Formats: sequence, structure tokens, C-alpha cells
Amino acid sequence: MKAFSKMISILVVTTIVATLYFVYPNASDAKNEEKRFLTHTGAVIQTTGDILDPVYTAQTVEFDPGKYLREFSYGRVSTLEDGRTLREFTIIANDDKIMEISPGVFYNAWTFNGTVPGPTIRATEGDLVRIKFINEGSKLHTIHFHGIHAAEMDGVFEPVGGGGGQFTYEFEAGPVGVHPYHCHIMPLEEHISHGLYGAYIVDPKVPRKQADEMVMILNGFDTDFDTENNFYAANTIPFYYQHHPIQINANELIRVYVINILEFDQINNFHLHGNLYDYYPSGTYSVPSQYTDMITLSQGERGIMEFTYTYHGKYLFHAHKTEFAEKGWTGLFLVKEPEA
Amino acid sequence: METTKSSKTKTILAGVVPVIILAAMVAYLFGPSSDLLNFGVSLPEITIERIDFVDSEIQVVVRNTGPIDVSIAQADVNDRIHPAAIEPDKYLSRFEAATVRIPFEWNEAEPYEIGLTVQDGTRFSQSVAAAAPAMKPSVELASYFAVIGTYVGIIPVMIGLLWLPFIAKLSPTKYKFFLAITVGLLLFLGIDAVEEGLEISSERLAGSFNGQLLVATVVVCSFIGLYYASEKLVSRASGKITKSVAIALMVSIGIGLHNLGEGLAIGAAIGLGEVALSTFLIIGFTIHNTTEGLAIAAPMARQKPMIAKLAAMGLIAGAPAIFGAWIGGFQYSPIYTIIFLAIGAGAIFQVVVSIMGWMRQDEKGLLSAPIAAGIAVGMIVMYLTSILV
Repeated sequence: MKAFSKMISILVVTTIVATLYFVYPNASDAKNEEKRFLTHTGAVIQTTGDILDPVYTAQTVEFDPGKYLREFSYGRVSTLEDGRTLREFTIIANDDKIMEISPGVFYNAWTFNGTVPGPTIRATEGDLVRIKFINEGSKLHTIHFHGIHAAEMDGVFEPVGGGGGQFTYEFEAGPVGVHPYHCHIMPLEEHISHGLYGAYIVDPKVPRKQADEMVMILNGFDTDFDTENNFYAANTIPFYYQHHPIQINANELIRVYVINILEFDQINNFHLHGNLYDYYPSGTYSVPSQYTDMITLSQGERGIMEFTYTYHGKYLFHAHKTEFAEKGWTGLFLVKEPEA
Repeated sequence: METTKSSKTKTILAGVVPVIILAAMVAYLFGPSSDLLNFGVSLPEITIERIDFVDSEIQVVVRNTGPIDVSIAQADVNDRIHPAAIEPDKYLSRFEAATVRIPFEWNEAEPYEIGLTVQDGTRFSQSVAAAAPAMKPSVELASYFAVIGTYVGIIPVMIGLLWLPFIAKLSPTKYKFFLAITVGLLLFLGIDAVEEGLEISSERLAGSFNGQLLVATVVVCSFIGLYYASEKLVSRASGKITKSVAIALMVSIGIGLHNLGEGLAIGAAIGLGEVALSTFLIIGFTIHNTTEGLAIAAPMARQKPMIAKLAAMGLIAGAPAIFGAWIGGFQYSPIYTIIFLAIGAGAIFQVVVSIMGWMRQDEKGLLSAPIAAGIAVGMIVMYLTSILV
């Protein structure tokens, strides 16, 4: 009888301890080291725990939007017998890369040359562009370039098998402007939303005015596969340019090649603070269609924006669809004083 | 002496050997062969257990309720990303919990959805119908809950007890009818508590806690435990405590546990900002719970009036509503609530069995019209008054 009641009391104590553990789980392993972080409105918060904030530091970046912004790939250049310029590129597709697309969030990105977006292909109107495409992924992939080319170079009916399949795309660069390229295998939505896209710029034979040029691909990621984006960005990493402002000079012409490739959402847009820009839809005409601080783009729409800041300081640029802005599609220009 | 000792050792050894083998097996499965058993994809799962609205901040208690370790990557309010802090840290092993602090200027009475994203990009969310400032224990608030508990618990039970003189004057048949009503009332309360427990477990408790089985386990344990205790109490009942008093006492303990659960639910509902406790709701509970007084009064009706004892039983049955409201309002925990509700249900079922056993002692047994009618009436009365709540 005594042993029995002892057993009962042990059982009761165990139950109470277990219950307390579940109800007050935080009692153990508290840390004392204080950390601070800033909210989006500038309040300073202190914590003894970890900070959940989309701030990218150089160490954790697998894809560097700072580098991508002004990186143009002109290819291996040679001259053809007829005097034309040949630009040769190699693009390798992969679909097994796990990429940290926001701090602590790991996503299976499908990539052209290891990054999302793929490299920015740049040529001058009339150049012969030759792209050796190698598919090292596990699924079928292609590259479909927007622009003018032969039907069999369209990257739609020529699927390239995974595990090393190859195809060479060849066409004359044109028309002048900024165009997207992307994989065109069905389901298209899946292949694009996973990251198989990039920018293709065709410069006019008479070069555009000297400018500080950059590429912004407006994209997003649906990390939980519910056909709604969890993250939005200009150039992949949410809030990147907010925490790492793009440095530009006052009184210098800025030219942004912008492409909206955003999957799932009907529209995207681009709003610039403290300034307006000349907008050239698709970059195909030399006369701007608008002078505005706000353009609306549906998927695949793109254009060139040109502007100059007079006053130095920090200026936001972001989607004026504020939902996108608050899920990462927000950045800053830091306008520096002109060097004396 | 030697032989008995060695045989005892053998017995213990025989009992322990399977446990050791099982432990070795588990160690093997976790260790060398763990790769063999990993079929399929284990998906992370977290549960947001509590959301508190404090000064310029939303505090969220999150628990890893999935099969694998997780790390929390991001917090959002209404699906908009916000910088936040997580304490003690963002890595949660199985069943570990953490508090996420999201600096946010929230608006009172507006609905909010809080989302947390884990390492693979999956977002988990929980909604709050109307943001209300988290209740910090204060004398004012404690007394507010005490008043609610009094209205909902003590007063109605006391009113119900006033039926005692009426029941005392009834003929045996009519008395049986009223006892049977009590059985019906209690059956209803017991089922109600089980249903409430299951509801909370499906709404607020992660699947990994097996909420439904928790309810079943606690109900059965509570039933068995109280059955044992009441048998002791009733068998020892003599002189001061008669058998009927013992039964009435058990009834009031059962109802007290039930009211504790009810108080928890009310306190939690206010604390979670789910209801504004209206006068109407209080009236509903008051009418509903008046019937509980009847349940205590009925077994005592054949006694000499014992005002003090009766009042004490009323307190035992009613006062837990106050404690429940305190616990529920200040420190809500779905597990606690479910456990209390299930204990209450087990207690009530035990009381039902006791009263039925008591009624059967008559020559006619249980199969009589007044008893059948009484149980039915009890259930129906409870159902109708429950609509008010």
C-alpha cells in the first residue's frame, strides 16, 4: 500500500513537472547578451535573443544584388568575315541549388549561371549573338529570348534535356531596347517563379548618352508554393537596397533598365522618391513616352528609366503597391555630393 | 532470507530486462540506423500558441510542434514583413518554444494576423479577432474577474440551492424525478466539458500533443481517481457525514472542477480578445448554472437542513469559476484549460455513476418512469439554457 501511494505521488509530481515544462518553456537557457535593431520606422529595440530582420550582410549573401546591379556581360567578342561583331556566351541551367533568398529562408532556386536573375546579356544592334546553352539540371529547360529571331531559335519547341543537354541559340541582336529572357518549358509558371530569367539589353549603334547604368529585375518568390509570393524584390533579395543603398552622384544621368518578371501577381510598379524620370517602354524608341515617378508593369513588361538627382541625400524607390514594398520590394538611392 | 532476496532481485531483473532491450533498440534506431528509416520528407511545423498586445509591441509565443528542428526566419503582421526579435533564440528543437517580439503600433479592437516564416519559406499564421491590451495582473482586474466569477459561479449555485426546501417536501417518486434531473444536468455538463476540451484542442493545441487523447486520458484518470476517493468517503461516511452528504460533496467537487474550466474559458476569451463579455452572456451563464445548485441540493434533500454545509458546498462548486477566470485571463494555456475541463468531466461522470447507484438501491431499480423522464428533462433544460450562453 505504501509503495503504491509512493508510486502515485511520483506519477503526480512527474505530471506536474511535465505540464509546467510545456506551460513555461522559456524558463531555461536565457541569454544575457543584449542586441539592438532598428524597426522600419526607426525605433531602437533591444533584445537578449536573436534578431529576425531582413538585413543582408556581405558574409551571408550567396547572390550579391550590389554586384549584379551594374554587371553587364558582353560575351567573348570576335569579328566575323562580313565585318559584323560576334558575341559568344555560355549559359548553364541548374535546378538543384538551395539559395538563401532572405536571411534564414532557404529556397530551391533554378538558375542560369548559378544566379537569379541570370547574367545580363548585352550586345549592340546588328551583332551576332551566339549562346551556348547547357542544361545541367534534372528537368527540361530552354532559353526564350524576347526580340527578333528565327522560329527555331525561340526556345519553345526545342526542349533541352537535363544532365548536360545542349543547344546553341544564334540571332542578330535587335531590336534596340531592354528585353527579358527566360525558360519556356511548361509549366511555365513553375520554371519562371523558380528563377530561370534574366535581362537582355540591345544597345543602339549610336551609343546612348553616357550614364550610370543599372539593371533592376522586379521579381519575387513563392516559398510556400501557394501561388502567392512571400517575398518581393528588385534583384531577388528583399530589402537589400534599403539596407545597402545604391550610391549615385548628384547631377549625373542615371539609367535603369527595369524588367518586371514577377510571377503570380497581375501587376508591379516602380515609384521613385524626390524625382521623376523619363520612361522609354521596352527601350525601343528614343523618345520617352512619359515623364513620371510611377509606372505600372505587367509580367514581361520592361523599359528604360532616365533621371538625374539635384539634391544629395537618401531617396526611396519601391513598388507603389505597398504590399510588395512591405514584403521586400523597397530600396534606397544615396545621392552623393558631386565631387569637387 | 537469502533466497527471498535473490528471488526478489530476479523479479526486478525480469521486469527491467525488456526495458533495457527497448532502450537499446531506440538508441540503435536513433543512432546507426537512423538513415535507414528516413523515408519521405519531414516538413517543419510550428504552432503560434499565444499572441499578446503590449505597448507598441506584439508578443507571440511559438512552439515547434513538428517532427524536425526549425529555425524561425521572419515575422510578419497582416502578411507584411516586420523586423522582430526572438527570445531566447531562433532555433527551436522539437517542442521547444520561444517568444517573438514584433515592434508594432497596433490599433485596439482591430483584427490581426501574425505570421512566422521558417527556414524553408513556409509561413504559419494565427489570427486574433480583436486586438486587446494584454492583461497584466492588477488588483482592479483581479477583482473584475472575481465579480464575473461570482456572477457566473457562486450566485447561481446558491440560488439553485434554495430549491432544497421544495425538494425536501416532495413525495419519494417526485424526489426521484428531481434526482434524475440532476443526473441529466450532470450528464450534459460532462459532455459539454468534453466537447469544450476537444474544441480547444483542435483550435489551439498542436496536433503533436494529441489533444483528443489527452482529453480521453484525463477524463478516465479523473473518473477512476474520484471513484476510488468517493468510495472511500462514502464507505467511511457515518455520524457527521452521511452518505447523502458525501454524494452531495462529490457533486459539488465535480461541478466546481467544471466551473473552473468554465472560468478558464471566460477569462481566456477576454484575455485573447475574442469576446467582450456582455451582460447577456453573464445572464446566460447565471441561468445555466442555477441548475447546478439543484444538482447539489437534490441528494441533500432527505437530510435535516444543514445550512453551513450547504453553503460550503455552494462555494466549493461556484468559487472555482473565479480562480478559473484569473488563470485563464492572466496566464492562458490551452493545455491547462483542456486538463481542467477533462478533470471536471471525469468528476461529473463519476458523480452521475454515484447518484445512479444510490437511486438503484430502491426496489424498483433504475427502470422507472420518473427516472427516465428526469434524465431527459435535465438534459433538455441544460440544452435550452445553454443556448443563452
